[in-house]
Amino acid sequence: MDIKNLKKILFEKALNEGFKDCEIFYSKGSSFSVSIYKGNIEKYRINENGGFCFRGLYNGNMGYYFSESTDIDADSVIENTKENAEIVTVEDKEFIYEGDKSYPSVNVYNSKIEEITAEQKIQSALNIEKYALAYDSRITVNSAMVASGESYVYISNTRGLEVSEKGNHILAYVEVMVSENNETKEKGDIWIGNDISDLDEKKLAESACNKALSALGASSVKSGSVKAIIENETFADILECFVGNFYAENVQKGFSLLKNKLDTAVASEAVSITDNPLMEGGYQTTAFDSEGVASRSKKIIDKGILKTYLYNLKSANIDGVKSTGNGFKGSFRTAVGTSFTNFYIEKGSNEIKDAISSIDYGVFINDVAGLHSGTNSISGDFSLAAEGFLIENGKLTRPVNQITIAGNFYEILKNIDIVCSDIKFNSSSVGSPSVYINNIEISGE
Amino acid sequence: MIDEKTAWDVIETALSTGADFAEIFAENNERNSVSVVNDHVERGNSGIDRGCGIRIINKEKVIYVYTNNMEYDSLIKIAKDGAMAVKGSHKQNAVSFNRLEYKNIHNISIMPDTVKKKRIVDFLMLGNNAATSYDSLITQTRLSYMDSVQNVLIANSEGLWAEDRRVRTRIAVSAVASDNNEKQTGYFGPGALQGFEFCENTDIEALAKEASRSAVTMLKADNCPSGKMPVVMDNGFGGVIFHEACGHGLEAAAISKKASVFTDMIGQKIASDKVTAIDDGTIPNSWGSINIDDEGTKARKNILIENGILKSYMVDRYNGSLIGMSSTGSSRRESYKHIPVSRMTNTYIAAGNDKKEDIIANTEFGLYAKYMGGGSVNPASGEFNFAVSEAYIIRNGRICEPVRGATLIGKGSEVLRNIDMVSDNVELAEGMCGASSGSIPVCVGQPMLRVNNITVGGRG
Repeated sequence: MDIKNLKKILFEKALNEGFKDCEIFYSKGSSFSVSIYKGNIEKYRINENGGFCFRGLYNGNMGYYFSESTDIDADSVIENTKENAEIVTVEDKEFIYEGDKSYPSVNVYNSKIEEITAEQKIQSALNIEKYALAYDSRITVNSAMVASGESYVYISNTRGLEVSEKGNHILAYVEVMVSENNETKEKGDIWIGNDISDLDEKKLAESACNKALSALGASSVKSGSVKAIIENETFADILECFVGNFYAENVQKGFSLLKNKLDTAVASEAVSITDNPLMEGGYQTTAFDSEGVASRSKKIIDKGILKTYLYNLKSANIDGVKSTGNGFKGSFRTAVGTSFTNFYIEKGSNEIKDAISSIDYGVFINDVAGLHSGTNSISGDFSLAAEGFLIENGKLTRPVNQITIAGNFYEILKNIDIVCSDIKFNSSSVGSPSVYINNIEISGE
Repeated sequence: MIDEKTAWDVIETALSTGADFAEIFAENNERNSVSVVNDHVERGNSGIDRGCGIRIINKEKVIYVYTNNMEYDSLIKIAKDGAMAVKGSHKQNAVSFNRLEYKNIHNISIMPDTVKKKRIVDFLMLGNNAATSYDSLITQTRLSYMDSVQNVLIANSEGLWAEDRRVRTRIAVSAVASDNNEKQTGYFGPGALQGFEFCENTDIEALAKEASRSAVTMLKADNCPSGKMPVVMDNGFGGVIFHEACGHGLEAAAISKKASVFTDMIGQKIASDKVTAIDDGTIPNSWGSINIDDEGTKARKNILIENGILKSYMVDRYNGSLIGMSSTGSSRRESYKHIPVSRMTNTYIAAGNDKKEDIIANTEFGLYAKYMGGGSVNPASGEFNFAVSEAYIIRNGRICEPVRGATLIGKGSEVLRNIDMVSDNVELAEGMCGASSGSIPVCVGQPMLRVNNITVGGRG
């Protein structure tokens, strides 16, 4: 059934059944991907997928129901939604939003992507594999992939909101392996964009090769507390684990240590953090959130001072402020929660080579593992497997692996002495420049 | 979900350009969830995932197409789109369907759709109250319930017609202990291949109290020391060490690309004599169990390592064909959106002969890891890491003060040789495992064991 027909039926039934307001959130997407292995197509994937969420206010509580199929018995949708509303006892109100007067225009759809043929994508993946293999005879390529995808979101409710957005992207990924003297290293690199002419196949391939080759011959270092530079994307990955502490709903429920910290120093003066859903070319750029609130850019930390939390309509109502437009769903299946968009530490003016040359003894960390297990998002504690290089007398002297770096996120924010100028975003759209941390705990030998 | 005529036409279409093999995986997955946060029911949610994936294999090439539009025309269209990527020499004929008969080894007594949400709420509130009242330092609690009933149909061009129903229920309990500046969390997430009887047989109050005790203990603990030392890992979730250090490296997907340190090692000694490791998908009603895998092969008990000697990999049909091995009933996927590959089910280190008291008593200085968190591994290099969520210092053969914030790292090939004591109290624990075919339910497990030397990464 067409989603707009389904909407009409559901709204009518729901209002008759005593729902005050209700809403439909629908999303669909399609994607294509091809992976090359040893000069041949190894995997070739095409899909189209979507689903809807129906939610409504029943006796003051919000009930939810989702389905991947729009061919569904409307009575059972209403009945399930009602049961899900009836059990809710939390007093904080959720809202069905009437919409904003105007929405910003964002550039998230490029019609040129549709014109790229499957053959062109296959050729591009073949090229990436070829460049990687040509770079060094020790390289083997596990996978070279090119993929494109298109997405569509539609939200409409009984209070008059009706918004939609269409976006698309293309991405390339390569994973290489290098073996020497009984040691094997596997590294990858990814490119995401919405203009294929920005993809430099050779650069992507060589970047992954360099990561793997430069890690060969690594060994551990002595345990102790040292100075460290954490490379841009790696620090972005660490930052991402702790973004939830900036969400008002976590602060309100007591799951964040940033409670009562507004307008106080939570980071060093070198650190400013912004969440900008309107960023040109951002992977999470959007004109509105999953509640239909118009997007805007917010400075979260300004020179070390915490300026705002990230809000959805519910948490904003509790604090008596306006939503920051961060009410997002993980997918159409889930309830509205909070999420960042393009979230980043603003770049500083220091060159990374100057930051390295200022260190007599320390480590340069360019990869960590165990982020989903080795971080305690609530306490801020982390202990992660790490690798990179040893810094001696201002120079990178040898590769390092089999160490852990341990610390506390809140303390690290205060210990960032230098923010470099090389900002880079990870694939979730969390960005960071490389940062100089004056004290981190290393465990090795 | 899909009738025989539609399935046949889809498979014939998928084979039309000369592919060797075609397969349909259709699913209907009904889910419910309820969450309680700080004494209040925050959310009830429910819904249905439904769709179909078609896999076409031609020599070493795999084509995968999926949709959640299950109408005849839509399925034929995507089969055609997929077939376009094959240029074979002649068309194979599909074999007419033959229903796979198997014995259901996982009986379900209370189907989730017969349970009122109110009953689930009452159950979670028991846990909420037990966690909250344990200690005044407990400031936040979060309890959740989820169930899913996944009906699957797997049909292929070799005549397979297999259907299965997987009913799973899981709960999660977390308690946060706080003082002025710090917060520590205790967490448990047990589950089973069962319906609501799993909740009826679970003492959620005891579980909630244990989560609170762990959080309070860790709040008062000092930072874990760093460096290399002996580590005693307790049973149950301690088995995450084998899962990360070795299990992923024994999956055929890594072996077929020689992207595992255990490639070409069958018959060789890869672990200490004390280590026997098993992957068993047939344990009745266990969280990681299956009747049939996601290619329609019956579940098996596979001995991976016996007394230190590598005996078998975990094999799916595609990667098996590349390395000349047949399926071990290990092919799994999160949903119809994923290409199935070899994965773990319930994986554990078998009981040894040591007594757990002796393991502690024989350790002069080291770490006792009571509860473990998750971890990860790079199978190519064998480098793994996993987190310890509750630990204590062992001094002079006795368990002493608690310490927190430790991660253990190492290389799989080395750590397996360094296991020098294995006790006899095997226990399994439930988790979710993420890899290329998505997030799937698995169990890890082991008896208490000791690794005589491993890098401990703490802050102290």
